[in-house]
Amino acid sequence: MPTLLAKPRKSASIWIGVSLMVSLLVVALTSGCGDKFSDLEVLPTESYMKKPGDFLGNTYTIRAQIDSQVKWEKGVGRILAVLPESGGARLPVFVPDAVGGNLHIGQRYEMRARIEAGGLIYVESLRKY
Amino acid sequence: MLKVCASISLGLVLGQITSHAQGYAPAAAPARPAPASAGMSAPVGGMFESNTFLEMASRAFDPSSDSMDFENGSFAWKGRTFNLTSQRAFRSRFERFLLASPTEEEESYALLMDDVLQRLSVANDRSDDAILETWEMLFRAARFDTDGGNSTIVANQVFNAWRIRKEMRGTALTQRELADMRRHQQTVVANRALILEKIQEQKEHESVRTTSDKGGKGKEANAGALPTEGAFRALELAETEAKLIAMEGQAALTGIQAKLQMQSQIVAFLVQRRYQHALLLSGFYQLLFKGSQQQLEVGKGELKSFFPNTDMVFTVDMMAFVANEAITDVNKGVVAVNTAYAEDRAIIALERLQETFFLGEYMPELNAIPVEQRRMLLDLYRDMMEAVELAEAKDYNGVAQYAERIGLIAKDFPKMRVLSSVETAKSMSDMAVFAASQYRNLGDIDKARAELQQAIDIWPSNPSIREFQQETTKLATAGSQGVQIFDDLYKRSDHRGIYDRRMDLGFALAEDPVRRPLLMEVIEQVSTIDLLVAQSAEALKQGDPYVAWELLAEAAKFDPNDAPMNRARAELAPRVADFVVYLDRAQRQAAEAQHAGSLAAFLAAQDIYPASRMCREGIERESSALMAQLSEQAETGEE
Repeated sequence: MPTLLAKPRKSASIWIGVSLMVSLLVVALTSGCGDKFSDLEVLPTESYMKKPGDFLGNTYTIRAQIDSQVKWEKGVGRILAVLPESGGARLPVFVPDAVGGNLHIGQRYEMRARIEAGGLIYVESLRKY
Repeated sequence: MLKVCASISLGLVLGQITSHAQGYAPAAAPARPAPASAGMSAPVGGMFESNTFLEMASRAFDPSSDSMDFENGSFAWKGRTFNLTSQRAFRSRFERFLLASPTEEEESYALLMDDVLQRLSVANDRSDDAILETWEMLFRAARFDTDGGNSTIVANQVFNAWRIRKEMRGTALTQRELADMRRHQQTVVANRALILEKIQEQKEHESVRTTSDKGGKGKEANAGALPTEGAFRALELAETEAKLIAMEGQAALTGIQAKLQMQSQIVAFLVQRRYQHALLLSGFYQLLFKGSQQQLEVGKGELKSFFPNTDMVFTVDMMAFVANEAITDVNKGVVAVNTAYAEDRAIIALERLQETFFLGEYMPELNAIPVEQRRMLLDLYRDMMEAVELAEAKDYNGVAQYAERIGLIAKDFPKMRVLSSVETAKSMSDMAVFAASQYRNLGDIDKARAELQQAIDIWPSNPSIREFQQETTKLATAGSQGVQIFDDLYKRSDHRGIYDRRMDLGFALAEDPVRRPLLMEVIEQVSTIDLLVAQSAEALKQGDPYVAWELLAEAAKFDPNDAPMNRARAELAPRVADFVVYLDRAQRQAAEAQHAGSLAAFLAAQDIYPASRMCREGIERESSALMAQLSEQAETGEE
């Protein structure tokens, strides 16, 4: 009987340990160790405005509110004017069709963006915040 | 060559027109060209306007009364027509009256004349002594300058009548003596014939008895002597009878002559407006001649023109009545003048004074008009006469000045009506000059000439006409050099320089099919720049520097090198520096096909001035270009 009682106690502690490990893994995954936005610099808008060509090829994170949609083309994407959280003037960003879903004016997004040729702010991914 | 000819032609035409205007050319009326029918033409009724002004000015400035007609030289008064002298003569007498001051001597004269007239009244003493005393008073009256010696004429007429009457009495006496003599002579002649007959018979008997042989010779001699004496006596009788008849005729003639002389003088006094003397002489006439002699037998022609619309029989009483009526009217006129003046109706006072003055020029009653009032009315009269002459000379500036002056003196003067007409006439002339300039610049010489002639007709001293003349002269001389100047300026892109010389160049290139369109294009371009610069200045005044900047930026698209526009931009730039920085950046990057950077700069500029049209257009343009680029890249990637 004690033997029978000891087996279930051992298996239970194993399950607790496993579940603890999984939880730690999930927390680690969700709290930044593997986060694709948190490790990026914020785009220095003032410098970018003065000379966009200096930032070509770089990737930045931008936290901003959508101000207006400047242009949209089916199958290509949309150009949005966004108001950065850090302040300054509005910025034009391009959100490809594959990245953007339903984007509404006034929504706040955290974006991962790369500076492309001509100073284009190309959004690779985004999420609401 | 054609242009040179056109220039010379225009110069000659201009010279001809201006010489007409300045009075150098012969006075023959120039052929009036057909009025221009283009939209820019002044109204065809330019001359009508000018005539209307003259009529208005004549009405407004003519101080004469309606009853005075200087053209026909007549003055109508209650259906009677006086012979009015020329306006110049009347004016001098009227001005002399306005300058004169009443004297004590004139007052004494007025009292004396009233006294004399009173004595001649029917109700007064009509004895010979009283009449003689009254007659003597005429010589006292004649001593006054105001009388002008007319009382002496009256006295002489009366004396003449008296003398004739006395002579007629002497003639009657002589006539009686002659009649007695005639009777005696008739008796003598008749008795002498009988005596001679008896003597002859006695002599015949004696001769038969004594000298029978030589009887034939003596008989013949006696028979020849008797008829000769009888004839002599008969001749004496005939002479006496002839003298008697002649004396009777002379007496009748002298009496008629005296009456006619007095009648003539009464009519003359009345026509000369010497009413008091007409009354004096009428009074004496009525005393000297009996009632059946009152009908006028002389001066019918003068009276017919004086009373044009009547068939009545003219009498001495009638003359006296008219004279009395005129004196009453003069008195009423003087009261009317003083009343109108007291009520600040100087124009009415002046009109009534002229009537009253002409009617009663020799009447002492006019002295009831105060001296100060006379002086003021003299100033008004002279100003109005001067204004009339200026209006006839179409000197509108002078007319306006005098209208202002007269308006200060006379409250009832229609100043605004005059000034309004002056402005209208001047505007009409200016419009005609403007139309002439337009036609000249278009190369239509005939129409330019017609419009200029019209402008001169309306207002010969219009300063715009002289400016037009100077411009045209300058254009005519600059015409041949215009092509070279235009080419130089156009080559240097000095559009402002072309615009500044547009008048000269327009005339010079009027018939150049190549350069003229270029000139028009440049003029339009610079005009647009000027308009935008002016709008920009207005926006700046209203506190909107960003709008002002955008207008200047718009102007810069036409000619970025235009000096006035760049000056305005330089002055404004510090006030819109942030906005300008973003715009410049956007435009520079757009030029380098950096559409994303340009779009970012436009968005930043729009944040500063959200209503910016330049930003809105730039964003649209750059976003489209960017999207096109991305679309192309997407297509390339798919392939």
